[in-house]
Amino acid sequence: MARTSLAQENFLLPNLTFIAELFAFVVILWVLARYVLPHINRAMTERQEAIRTQFAELEEAKANAQEAENEYRSQLADARHEAAAIRERAREEGATIVAEMREQARAESDRIIRQAHAQVEAERQQVVQELRTEVGTMATTLAGRIVGESLDDDERRQRTVERFMSSLESQDGASRSEARR
Amino acid sequence: MSDTIFVAAEGGSEIEIGHHRTVEFLGMTWNADTIWTTAIAGIIVLALGFSVARNASATNPGKLQLAWEALVSWVTVQVESNLGKVNPFVIPLAIALFAFILIANWLEVIPSKEYLKPPTADVNLTYALAFLVIVGVHVYSVRERGVRGYVHHYFEPYPALFPIILIEEIVKPFTLALRLFGNIFSGAIMLAIIGLLPALVLWLPNVIWKLFAMFIAVIQAFIFALLTILYFGMAGDTHGEGDHEDRSQSDPADEPKTTNQPQLAEAH
Repeated sequence: MARTSLAQENFLLPNLTFIAELFAFVVILWVLARYVLPHINRAMTERQEAIRTQFAELEEAKANAQEAENEYRSQLADARHEAAAIRERAREEGATIVAEMREQARAESDRIIRQAHAQVEAERQQVVQELRTEVGTMATTLAGRIVGESLDDDERRQRTVERFMSSLESQDGASRSEARR
Repeated sequence: MSDTIFVAAEGGSEIEIGHHRTVEFLGMTWNADTIWTTAIAGIIVLALGFSVARNASATNPGKLQLAWEALVSWVTVQVESNLGKVNPFVIPLAIALFAFILIANWLEVIPSKEYLKPPTADVNLTYALAFLVIVGVHVYSVRERGVRGYVHHYFEPYPALFPIILIEEIVKPFTLALRLFGNIFSGAIMLAIIGLLPALVLWLPNVIWKLFAMFIAVIQAFIFALLTILYFGMAGDTHGEGDHEDRSQSDPADEPKTTNQPQLAEAH
């Protein structure tokens, strides 16, 4: 070993390399601080800012969505409520209509029945009237043929029919009272 | 002490410890290997830095940029919580220390015989780093506390503790430097010893140790940067004395600390 210094005897002691190392590190530090870190910091802050903005936008969008949902829900509730009200009203109206119709129908049927009764009564009257005239004629004709007596005399014939009818009626009333007895 | 220390290994091979390739320049001895490995580590750090700085993107960051950003934000958070504010010197210092020490330590992992020894395995580098940190710490301390406050802090909390505090301040740079040096240096020795093993079995312990050394490298870079921040933080701490009223006015972040002081004193 040509030259023996203290540093070479003990590796825990520095030599002048110390100065070189100090200088080297100061240069590294300076370059990093001057040319590298500002760029990294700027990118970092920009991104953080962007993320913050995005978060704010997200929050806003969320709030909007929430609001829209609330509105939708309230509208839905309103609609349901309204639908229920409409249904209720419709039921009431339906019930009213049914009642009215039923009333109308009853009135109509009553009217028809009354009319039918009246018609039947009128027809009966007519039939009775017709019978009154025709049965007499037929009966006298038949009786005339049987007895050979001319019954063409209108007045006599009328009297005969009247008698016959009244006897028939009295007979009928007697048999009816007998049957009642 | 003998000229160099040797570890005698089985088979008669010898490992020289603490031996450096030296050059004579200006009549002095310089550790050439440390200087050029420092240069290599520095160039790598700066290249990594510039490659990110040039393409730094706010919207689409690459992995490398994210790694840098993680380091920057970690250091910023540490500085803010320990110093109470962002310091324009401490943050770049801690970032540069971490990045440079990490890359310097990782040079050990590159298989290069003894040509690429980590520069952190030389006390010259670690002393230089610690020196820069401690000078910065004391300058910061004087600026924060004023000269009176700075001198006063050697006699706090009790004047009788002055020798201990003085020793603590003197020892700080040495512990800082030698911790890093010792870890990386011993790692290099381990690699050299493993290198003496037969080639057939060499690879397994070599791989294991190198992975471990990579981990140690991260830890040591982390510790160095963190302790730097902590020392700055301690240097800015006023113990409720001198100019602390001025500080609390100028620095609202410290207010809780200063208001706690009377309560602590009462508790004692």
